[in-house]
Amino acid sequence: MADQRIEPILAESARPTAVAVPAPVAVSVPGFRRPRRLGQLLERQDVLAVVLLAPTLTILTLFIAYPFVLGIWLAVSDKVVGRPGAFIGLENFRVNLNDTIFLRAFQNTFVYTFIATALKLALGMAAALLLNHHFRFKRIVRASMLLPWIVPTVLSTLAWQWMFDATFSVFNWMLMNAGLISKRILWLGDGTLAMGCLIAVNVWRGMPFFAITLLAGLQTVNPDLHEAAEIDGANAWQRYWRVTLPLIKPIMLVVVLFSMIATFADFQLIYVLTRGGPYSSTHVFGTYAYEIAMRAAKLGQGASISLSLFPFLLAVIVFQLWYIRRSD
Amino acid sequence: MAVRYGSPLKRAITFHVPLVLMVGVTLFPFYWMVITSVRPDRELYNVQMNPFFTFHPTFKHFQDLFELTMFARWAWNTIFIATVSTGISLFCGLLAGYALARLEFRWAAPLGTLIFVTYLVPPTLLFIPLGDVVKTFGIGDTPWAVILTYPTFLIPFCTWLLMGYFKTIPREIEDCARIDGASRIQAMIRITFPLAVPGILSAGIFAFTLSWNEFLYALVFLSSPQQKTIPIGVFTELVRGDVFYWGPLMAGALLGSIPVALVYSFFVEHYVTALTGAVKG
Amino acid sequence: MAMHEGQGRINRRAFLRVASAATGAAVTGGIPAIVGAQKAPSFPKGTKLSVLEWVSFVPASDVEFKRLAAEFGKLAGVDVTVDQINMNDLNPRITSAIETKAGPDIIMMISNWPHLYADGLADVDDVAEEIAKRDGAYYEHNRMVSVVGNRWKAVPLCSVPSTWAYREDWFKEAGAGKWPDTWDELRKVGIELKKKNRPMGQAFGHSLGDPNNWAYSVTWGFGGAEVDPSGKVAINSKETLEAVKFTVAFWKDCLDEGGLAWDDSSNNRAYLAGTISATINGASIYFVAKRQFPEIVKVTSHGHMPKGPGGRFYNIGGQGRAVMKYSKNQQVAKEFLRWFMDRPQYEKWMAANDGYVVGPTPYWEKHALWERDPKLIPFKEASKFGRWPGYPGAPSRKASEALVKYILVDMYAQAIKGMKPEDAVKWAEAELKKAYA
Repeated sequence: MADQRIEPILAESARPTAVAVPAPVAVSVPGFRRPRRLGQLLERQDVLAVVLLAPTLTILTLFIAYPFVLGIWLAVSDKVVGRPGAFIGLENFRVNLNDTIFLRAFQNTFVYTFIATALKLALGMAAALLLNHHFRFKRIVRASMLLPWIVPTVLSTLAWQWMFDATFSVFNWMLMNAGLISKRILWLGDGTLAMGCLIAVNVWRGMPFFAITLLAGLQTVNPDLHEAAEIDGANAWQRYWRVTLPLIKPIMLVVVLFSMIATFADFQLIYVLTRGGPYSSTHVFGTYAYEIAMRAAKLGQGASISLSLFPFLLAVIVFQLWYIRRSD
Repeated sequence: MAVRYGSPLKRAITFHVPLVLMVGVTLFPFYWMVITSVRPDRELYNVQMNPFFTFHPTFKHFQDLFELTMFARWAWNTIFIATVSTGISLFCGLLAGYALARLEFRWAAPLGTLIFVTYLVPPTLLFIPLGDVVKTFGIGDTPWAVILTYPTFLIPFCTWLLMGYFKTIPREIEDCARIDGASRIQAMIRITFPLAVPGILSAGIFAFTLSWNEFLYALVFLSSPQQKTIPIGVFTELVRGDVFYWGPLMAGALLGSIPVALVYSFFVEHYVTALTGAVKG
Repeated sequence: MAMHEGQGRINRRAFLRVASAATGAAVTGGIPAIVGAQKAPSFPKGTKLSVLEWVSFVPASDVEFKRLAAEFGKLAGVDVTVDQINMNDLNPRITSAIETKAGPDIIMMISNWPHLYADGLADVDDVAEEIAKRDGAYYEHNRMVSVVGNRWKAVPLCSVPSTWAYREDWFKEAGAGKWPDTWDELRKVGIELKKKNRPMGQAFGHSLGDPNNWAYSVTWGFGGAEVDPSGKVAINSKETLEAVKFTVAFWKDCLDEGGLAWDDSSNNRAYLAGTISATINGASIYFVAKRQFPEIVKVTSHGHMPKGPGGRFYNIGGQGRAVMKYSKNQQVAKEFLRWFMDRPQYEKWMAANDGYVVGPTPYWEKHALWERDPKLIPFKEASKFGRWPGYPGAPSRKASEALVKYILVDMYAQAIKGMKPEDAVKWAEAELKKAYA
């Protein structure tokens, strides 16, 4: 199997031998010879790792180490705007557990995230498969598929707000004119229906990104593998399941987990469309935390709401990292 | 990959129909936005009127966008900020992703976790202490305030994504190159990175778009009208209390996205060529 | 100071003399003392003053404010910048400014924000009290939201009342020659109107303006309240129950059913599209109609919030301007506020608002613009009945929390959606108890 993959790409390489001995490299830049020691140093995995990670760690340390720690500290403090806060342990979390709006937001966040992510994955995968062909307007179609992702969320969500508007909804207009409904549907006026609308807009906005990333993943799958499998008698579905899917799994996992974490924290979309209404039935962690922190000026409480899923998400990240780093 | 299969009918059902549906649903709101941006205000408020067509298209809203607001300036700001943030994040992400995906070293797991863990504190919380950092560095109300804070959420994902791509590239290829005498770094740059071009491009698109789109940090760290980005500027000036200026709003939304999509279309095609080139070898 | 030779310097001296004379005796040191000594004011060259406020719905008033700010800048030799953003986006900016102790020198305060941000605001007693001495005592709602613990934390600027905008022609057809005076009368007319497919419209969604105007006005109007004057939760009362029952009935009989999803802008759109006959709103519907829908503006008028068994009430918070405690330019900031609130300047700004705002003191009820357009009179008179969130308690942080959680609005919304009124009130009581804990 390994031979089959490598052969077409490095046609002239020798078969890999048992031991790879790094040789000192002579650089052919006139007047400069890279010191042997530096070259050898950079061959060591641990040294190279530090060098490669240095830019990232610098930026993150300078800009986010302190804010990150402070963000966590806020959640265990009673800080309000303008006053220094004091450590109060898990008191904020205790208050949250007694808060009906928080519990509703908890439920909503999970429902919203899981359903939206599942839909984005399924539709994104389907889109990637479709776009992975040659067809006449391929370029335009691929570019235009990205539009929902590119439009600033605040602006596209406003457009959706108008499209769902109780008085002006274009969907109502279409359905009524097609004779399918006689009374207008109040899209954002009912708790469950509003959640559905929010999920729909999130999927609309986020699916293109899944599509393009998965498309890139599909592109890295060697078509020769497909041909080989086809020759072996596999049909399209089996080819997809047995050949494609395992190869793009790492990327899929990355995209799904990232998207999930981002969707858990989603704020802008829901804030513009419903602000948590009607009757607080569409609040998620992001919007509820924002209202408490910004409008009631209770930064500690707001932080605790924002970070309610922190331990759970941390576990997810650790698992994900371990999975990706498993030796291939 | 040009795989043609099946009869024309089968092709239609399994390919053309789903494609058209998908494109339709994706672009439908844009169609509405286009109509709204050329529709005279009076028609917008008419409930009976067909929302899909107008007989009196006007370019006044686009005109208003440029004349009544500093849209051109905001567009420039946004492009500049997004480009530089993306550059920084890709650079860091490439190197870090490679290190975490390929190299064995003692602190791999904890460092890796550390980079991503910052992701778990959402921007709606982080912006407050970040404001302090911005003030300390004296970059408030300059593009650098956002250019240097955006990578805080762009780098982790770029790293993560590129790690995923690096994993799909067989290690043996680099090993071969190193046997032939290349150093680790050379193998990384000459072999692995080119093979990961699709991943690099999609990470770049992701980073650019997130920077383009970002609202909260730009709202808090950029205060002068000349420094604003498109989302902030358009939203702020055209949503006044309970009166929304729909025409210019949608014009701003369109102008703030279609040019970017056109640019992307070049990149999206590019990595197909890149791969075909590599395969032909 | 050298840069303002000749003409400029004379103008500034004259300005300072006028300013000091107008401010009367309550000024401590500062400008009058300097003027008395015939020296130039002591603002160092290069002093900057930055002001943050909302984008007004009336674009002309934003332009006028910027103009006045520039004029002050020239007179005082100060570089003034004005930043205007959406009302909703002010909170994160204010939070960041107070926490990082850097940002604008003057920030607009909406409703009871002075109470929320009190620790970050400087005392402005001198300026506020001067103005009251000159123009008359502030309206109660302006005063209550601006005074925190006996100190003035903001200089009251104005208020933006919401009244009922309604279609005179349709009301006449439904049998109401003039605007109904009580809630019951309004309901009777509403029944007729909805029969003709011309319902009234009211938002019950999650936005801070229109939904709260109903929730608070109706609750108070029926004699209910969130808390009693001492701050103890008192929502679970016969009066509140009546208010909820009335709202549910009003919803069924008179209101457009899209209201549960409405935000502050939805009723504007619906009214201008002719799908509703009346709604509570600021003057924005009227003004957009004046510009774009002349046939609607002809038949539109404004009516007072109806009276209930408990009285007639408006939920008006009032706006103010605060000087930030971290500001290094507090003296300049106060001078600016003093100058701006002075009659010649404020008069111009109020005229640019064209009736959208009401002054903070009864003095401005005499402004000529109210006579120009009698349809705007209810806005002017609304101040007399103005109250604040948390009334009859203080507009404290706890009132803010109740507001932010939309407790009152959700109480009504859930009852409309089908919850038994008793349960809705009990739910509100439990939530309020947590907020006021």
